Amino acid sequence: MKPFDLIIGATLGLGLTACASVDSLQDDTAVVSEPSPVEAALEDSGLDVVVHEGDFAEIQQFTTPGGVSVWLVSEPSIPILSVAMAWEGGEAADPEGLEGLADAVVYHMNEGAGDLDSLAFQTRMEELNMSFGCSASSDWTSCSASMLTDNASDAMDLVALSFEAPRFDDGPFARFLREQEVSLNTRETNASYLAGRAEAQALYPDHPYAREKSADSIAALTPELAKAHMRKLMVKDSLIVTAVGAVMPEELAPMIDEITASLPDSSDLPETPEISFTTDKAFEPVIVDLPQPQSLVRFLAPGLKREDPDFFTAYVLNYTYGGGGFGSRLMEALRVQKGLTYGVYSWLSFDEKYQNWGGSGQTKNESVGDFIDALKAETALIAEQGVTAEELADAKAYLTGSYPLAFDSNAKIASQMMSVRQDDLGVDYFDRRNALIEAVTLEDVNRVAAEFLQPDRFSYIVVGQPEGLE
Amino acid sequence: MKRILTGGLLALSVFTSSAVADDSAWAPTVFNLDNGMEVVVVPDHRAPVVTHMVWYKVGAVDEAEGKSGIAHLFEHVMFKETDDLAPGEFDNIVSRNGGVSNAFTSWDYTAYYERVAKDQLGTMMGLEAERMTDLIINDDPNGPFISERDVVKEERRQRIDNNPGVILQEMVLSELWKGHPYEITVIGNMDEVAALTPADGMAFYKEYYSPENAILVVAGDVTPEEVRALAEEHYGVIAPTGTAHGERKWAPVPPLTETKELVYSDPKVRQPSWSRYYSGTSETRDRELSYALDVGLEVLGGGMTSRLYQSLVEDQQVAISANTFAWTTLHDEGPALITASPAPGVALEDLETAVMAEVEKVLDEGFTDAEVERARNKLAAQAIYARDSQSNMANTFGSTLALGGSVDDVLNYPDAMRAITTEQAIAAVREVFGSDRHYIEAHLLPAEGDS
Repeated sequence: MKPFDLIIGATLGLGLTACASVDSLQDDTAVVSEPSPVEAALEDSGLDVVVHEGDFAEIQQFTTPGGVSVWLVSEPSIPILSVAMAWEGGEAADPEGLEGLADAVVYHMNEGAGDLDSLAFQTRMEELNMSFGCSASSDWTSCSASMLTDNASDAMDLVALSFEAPRFDDGPFARFLREQEVSLNTRETNASYLAGRAEAQALYPDHPYAREKSADSIAALTPELAKAHMRKLMVKDSLIVTAVGAVMPEELAPMIDEITASLPDSSDLPETPEISFTTDKAFEPVIVDLPQPQSLVRFLAPGLKREDPDFFTAYVLNYTYGGGGFGSRLMEALRVQKGLTYGVYSWLSFDEKYQNWGGSGQTKNESVGDFIDALKAETALIAEQGVTAEELADAKAYLTGSYPLAFDSNAKIASQMMSVRQDDLGVDYFDRRNALIEAVTLEDVNRVAAEFLQPDRFSYIVVGQPEGLE
Repeated sequence: MKRILTGGLLALSVFTSSAVADDSAWAPTVFNLDNGMEVVVVPDHRAPVVTHMVWYKVGAVDEAEGKSGIAHLFEHVMFKETDDLAPGEFDNIVSRNGGVSNAFTSWDYTAYYERVAKDQLGTMMGLEAERMTDLIINDDPNGPFISERDVVKEERRQRIDNNPGVILQEMVLSELWKGHPYEITVIGNMDEVAALTPADGMAFYKEYYSPENAILVVAGDVTPEEVRALAEEHYGVIAPTGTAHGERKWAPVPPLTETKELVYSDPKVRQPSWSRYYSGTSETRDRELSYALDVGLEVLGGGMTSRLYQSLVEDQQVAISANTFAWTTLHDEGPALITASPAPGVALEDLETAVMAEVEKVLDEGFTDAEVERARNKLAAQAIYARDSQSNMANTFGSTLALGGSVDDVLNYPDAMRAITTEQAIAAVREVFGSDRHYIEAHLLPAEGDS
């Protein structure tokens, strides 16, 4: 990463195009010898920008005059700007009986605002060659906007209008309901959806994550409810903003203030409780009937939290077990040696409220029994004998060596920054992460394998018409 | 930040000039090695990584009668073994050096790639050069070639057989391309795949895998000089096999001469869909018509502002979706589609009537200048956004060159798109969807007795 000279930045920052100002900064021979945070006040704008000279990205942190905390990576080489916003609280905060409410909110955020109806809003986005839209996951509500820097200020005006005066018109709302009605049908033959439902019913049937949209809950939604709920989901005090693009902090700050000016300061949303997935929750294989030639097999065991001292050990172990593509134990045994599958993978899911060590693969119905037998055998082998020193070295070499690939586009840098902010890992996480992986020892890996990969900790969900299951 | 722009034409003019001024920063360098291997270097200095790809000018189109699926199965076998690399070692070396690798096969080409930190580029070239010349195919009748056929069968089940919509599409495309080498889908006819032998694999290797039949694409944080030196060291020393003839089995696709209807029903289908596949075009065969068609179909059925969406989904509320699309990136002519899915309670016949009434109305009345301008600017801007992905850029240049196109075709795309006139756009759509044109109509339905 090239050094960043804040004095030059203050002199040249305003009044130039985004591209030009960043270019001149990088051409300058500024001296910042150590990759440590540097703080300086920009006189003109009064903006305090803390620059983190990281190994993978130079992150500029600042709080806008309006009070919004922003992380920005200035990247001048393509004349585009992407802004991502996230608020804690999502679908799991839907009131009981109103499942689908958060989805209704996000659906309408680009369906008309102010004087612009849905068609006028969409037309305006096309005229500006921009995109803007929102989405909801279980615990987060997110919006993102991408634009060309040449007309970024007009694009931001449109985003601001959407937050200030979203219309929630009857026409788009009725369309949303029609689409939901269709998806209530199509999800019933979606193998991944059915596996997720079986997992929820087996492990946490009474948790908010297990609640599903239904014909009744969709029918109970109204534009007024959605409009009111939007003001609960999208508030200032829980807002996280990240941005990557050909723009400087002093240019971006007023834009962020413009788009967020209308948001309420705070709101009350219910906390999502934690799910306790312990070894005693293991269940007998669940088969979900779906008429198709190939079955989806999902396997699941209790996992561990990101804060767990063994987390990185487990993360490194998972690469060798089933996380590492063609070279993993599971791929080698089930695909390369036995030809049972096109792909089988394992994951460590370390969501704040629910953790598991699981995986999935697909095999023809006739060989589901063989597939699960082979899976159990490989799992038992790694639990009993652990991994070799060479395998551990390979895992570390891949996990650390490939990390730069996660930062080679604006989109990836934006996504990396957002997850670090959501998980509250700290601005230096990217720089610390490889050392945490290097510190993992063979002894720890094999201890964690013996504990967490015991075959009797695993449960199985099969979606399809499997044969050969006891 | 400049605040002088008000959108529309003014935005277009400024946007164009900035894109042109910027071109030199990402325009690739092209050169040839002495053995005929073409090299493309695409600069992207944002991160210290590279995308390294080798494209071979062979695909499913070139397969011999009865050997369908060999191009794709062979691509799997390329990861197995060479005289210097034991089974699994290729992947292991790439991973240990922090790289990811994979490959893909199309009707028109086969491409292998590694993404890696830039200081490992030479190592990756060494690996690709090794399997370009010294592949071993184990001929044990119960060995890895045979188990890889089983992997391909599972791949087919996962991609096609588990998905009723894809099964129907495969049926339609083989009808559309009847008698053309595209008729059989890339993964192949499973009976023929099951009969492929290690000897078939080796014959295919000898016939097509040679440096003069390959294109090297390196995108990332490297200079053309660095790439040239490494490429000469690793690939330049490879002598052409003398057995790779370089001929392709491409042929013009004759327009449909009769209209057909295909119906596929399956218990997994919970939402019907209706499509018409017309004879279309391709960028390689007719670049100007392709671009005009892309613009015209964006206006007719591209997004939420399109004519079909506004009429069928918004106003009449008979559809949940309605789109038009032309598949123009194959070498030979691909289909142009009209497709829609009914709103709850609407019969497919009524949907069809409504869709075709709107299409005919638009063909009759034509487009407005404003909607065509929006569509062409949108397609041109997508080329700017696409530059964010290094592998995307490597793919774009690689596939264009593998089809016989040039780097300039890619660089000129935004300007060529912006030059499409309202008349050209509507003329292209009329040419493809005219009422005298034949088509294949496809109905995807729930199984009998299902709701």
